[in-house]
Amino acid sequence: MIDSVVNVSNVSKVYGSKGENQFQALEEVSFSMQEGEFIGIMGASGSGKTTLLNTISTLDNVSRGQIEIAGTTITEMKEQALADFRARKLGFIFQDFNLLESMTVYENIALPLFLQKMGRGRVKEKVQHVADILDIRDILSKYPAIISGGQKQRTAAARALVHNPSIILADEPTGALDSSNAASLLETLQRLNEEHQVSIMMVTHDAYSASYCERILFLEDGQLYKQINKNGTREEFFKNILDEQAEAGRKKL
Amino acid sequence: MLAKLAWNGMKSKRKDYIILLAGLVMSIAIFYMFQTLALNRDFTSENAMISSMQLVFNVGSCLLAAVTFFYILYTNMFLLSLRQQEYGMFMLLGAKKQYIKRLMFVENLLIGIIALIIGIAAGAGLSQLTAELIMGQLDVTLEGYQPFYLPSLAVTLLFFLVLFFVTAVWNHIKLSRLQVLELVHAETKSDQVPQQPKKNIVTITAGILALAAGWLSLIFMESLRELGVFSAAIMTTLGTYLLFSSLLPVITNAMKKKQKWNENGIQSFTLSQLTFRIHSLKKLLATAAMLIALGAGAISGGMAFKNNAENIAERSAVYDAVVHSPTAEEEEILEDITFTEAAEYRYKKGEEYNYYLKEDLEKQRPQIQLTTDNVKRVEADLPDQEGSLEEVEEESASIPNEWSQFLTMTAAEDYSRRPLIVSNALYDDIEAEEQVVFIGKADDFLAYRDQWAKLDELREEKLASSEEVMASTSKYSMYENYNTIATGTVFMGFFLGIAFLAMMASCLMFKVLSGAAKDIPRYEMLRKIGVPKKLLNQSVFKELFLVFLFPALLGITHVLIGMNMFSFIIVNPYYRIWISLLLFTTIYVLYYLLTVKMYKSVVLPEEK
Repeated sequence: MIDSVVNVSNVSKVYGSKGENQFQALEEVSFSMQEGEFIGIMGASGSGKTTLLNTISTLDNVSRGQIEIAGTTITEMKEQALADFRARKLGFIFQDFNLLESMTVYENIALPLFLQKMGRGRVKEKVQHVADILDIRDILSKYPAIISGGQKQRTAAARALVHNPSIILADEPTGALDSSNAASLLETLQRLNEEHQVSIMMVTHDAYSASYCERILFLEDGQLYKQINKNGTREEFFKNILDEQAEAGRKKL
Repeated sequence: MLAKLAWNGMKSKRKDYIILLAGLVMSIAIFYMFQTLALNRDFTSENAMISSMQLVFNVGSCLLAAVTFFYILYTNMFLLSLRQQEYGMFMLLGAKKQYIKRLMFVENLLIGIIALIIGIAAGAGLSQLTAELIMGQLDVTLEGYQPFYLPSLAVTLLFFLVLFFVTAVWNHIKLSRLQVLELVHAETKSDQVPQQPKKNIVTITAGILALAAGWLSLIFMESLRELGVFSAAIMTTLGTYLLFSSLLPVITNAMKKKQKWNENGIQSFTLSQLTFRIHSLKKLLATAAMLIALGAGAISGGMAFKNNAENIAERSAVYDAVVHSPTAEEEEILEDITFTEAAEYRYKKGEEYNYYLKEDLEKQRPQIQLTTDNVKRVEADLPDQEGSLEEVEEESASIPNEWSQFLTMTAAEDYSRRPLIVSNALYDDIEAEEQVVFIGKADDFLAYRDQWAKLDELREEKLASSEEVMASTSKYSMYENYNTIATGTVFMGFFLGIAFLAMMASCLMFKVLSGAAKDIPRYEMLRKIGVPKKLLNQSVFKELFLVFLFPALLGITHVLIGMNMFSFIIVNPYYRIWISLLLFTTIYVLYYLLTVKMYKSVVLPEEK
């Protein structure tokens, strides 16, 4: 399947070594993601959603199973190759922005391109292009310490986007933002997805954020137990997600 | 209860406290080490070649005290940053500020006292070790040096107790001003925005002027005397601080501005880190530059006094060996030595004169030393002696100067006997046993020290049984005599050099490591976005290289200029200076690699 950008099959992740306190963070998780999809992964704290994202983002290895991204089986790659893979194929957005405060917004965005040893002219062109998309052109010469949280997260998004990755992985990207900044960032992500066909995988525990996705995977105790698709307006989808969460909560009572 | 909690908090930050304690212990140990020499006046005045040695030590004490003071301030800031968050949390939970302040005060003093006890013990141990090491290397024993010296102990205790008390009070005041929330969020507070450095022409000019004044005082130390010691110490230090704090940000910024460098792979991160950090580093780097200057300077000075022995010997005589009528034993020793030039002159001893055979002198014209740096081969004609021995004796004054200089200074065993140069015919008629004097210049004077010593010993024995009275001194004994006098000074130079370098090492390492924790997220993020470990490694190497480079450059320049100050007492202060500089560079590079390794272990943890 050419058009599937992520393929996760039977992935399990166990923390701790044998004989000690073992913890099964993921259990036989399988799903696939089409190119240009906007997927959300939801679950309570400790459900394994961050572990799943970490294994897909090659930061953590799996105990069993296989993960394929853009046609490459990453679970069989070595550390060196993985770093290179991350640098070229993946884009990251973190909850706490993770910008380098010693560098200007421009330099932060351009860093992935510098690392690829791209020529100066092209770097400038590309940075300005994503800066336009994300509406942060005016702050390119500023340092992260003096821009707002929303601007920081846009900068982070621009950095994740600048090298045209196969997929953008976002871990609670709205976690540190106020509601209007959060909404604006989510709209931006949605626009990137719809207008620029960027594949996005987002981990969140917030139903409102999740409602911007096209499909939601629900995790509990390391298992993928349900997924729902958006079949109408965002408001309806939001209700569906809330219902699903309420249902899950009721089961526990 | 809170005290117990505080103690647990300290335990959980064990690694940071070890860094802190190591920094304090080092500074105390070295301060003590220095004082064991500075306060032991009997030893220094006994062993120093410089009359104003005590003054040098006093100035050195002041410099070291100033450096230590700033160092302690740094360590204190680190301590405060370690504790702020936790104390803030205690206050948030309802602890009274008064109580927290008291806790902080006690903790401050407690750490100080622990550091003092370990520091002084370490200082005594280090002094003992260093002294033994140097004496072993120099192959001497110096009486009077005491690694455990009570006055030094008292001064060190007093100095640091005052310092720790001052910092404890300082923290007390600082804590009073801070709000609870500021404390709690102390660690999450973002770093300062990197400012565009102002090109502060005034400071740069003042720095250059002060440095020029300091360097001029070093160069003209001989005529400035005591005044020179003071002005050199003050102006050089002032200039270094001013220049570093005004110029370093400008330089790093200029490097970053250069797009070709900046926009090239990981370099943008490396240079940003450096520009970012240089503001907090510049004063420390100036301190390091001064310590390098003092350390490398002391070692170079010590080395110069040591090497001076060779120069002194070289100036005292052209020929390394002068042996009269060698015995079998002496012949044997001479055979072991490779001579680049050797000659044998036959002569006979009379009552008043030595009669040298003209033929030998004619055939083997020797070299003589005219002035200190001017060695030449004797060119003057040998006198024609036509008449009888009496007539020749009467004209003894007519021997050309060059020849008489050679014959009395070098060839004569007893220079009270005047030389005469006689033809074969006259020589044969003189009724005395034929003697021969061997003179030789070896390929490397220092390589045959054992042989020269042995030859001198045998000569001693020979002279003891003869009635020669005014025996000339051998080149080797000149060398040895000088060495004996200089050893004390050499010892002090090396000892202080090691102490200062250790202080510099501890200062730089402390600063780099105490800030390392804050860099962890930066490297973590880079790793996440796919920067290969190799590049991160390179970045660390490069950044620390530049950090280490600046103080080394200025420090070594100080040394190169400062060596001038010994020119009044040392033949050539720059003779073989590359050896001491090489020694310093080796130590410095090793130390740089160690810092890189430790820093990396903090910011780039091994993959599991």
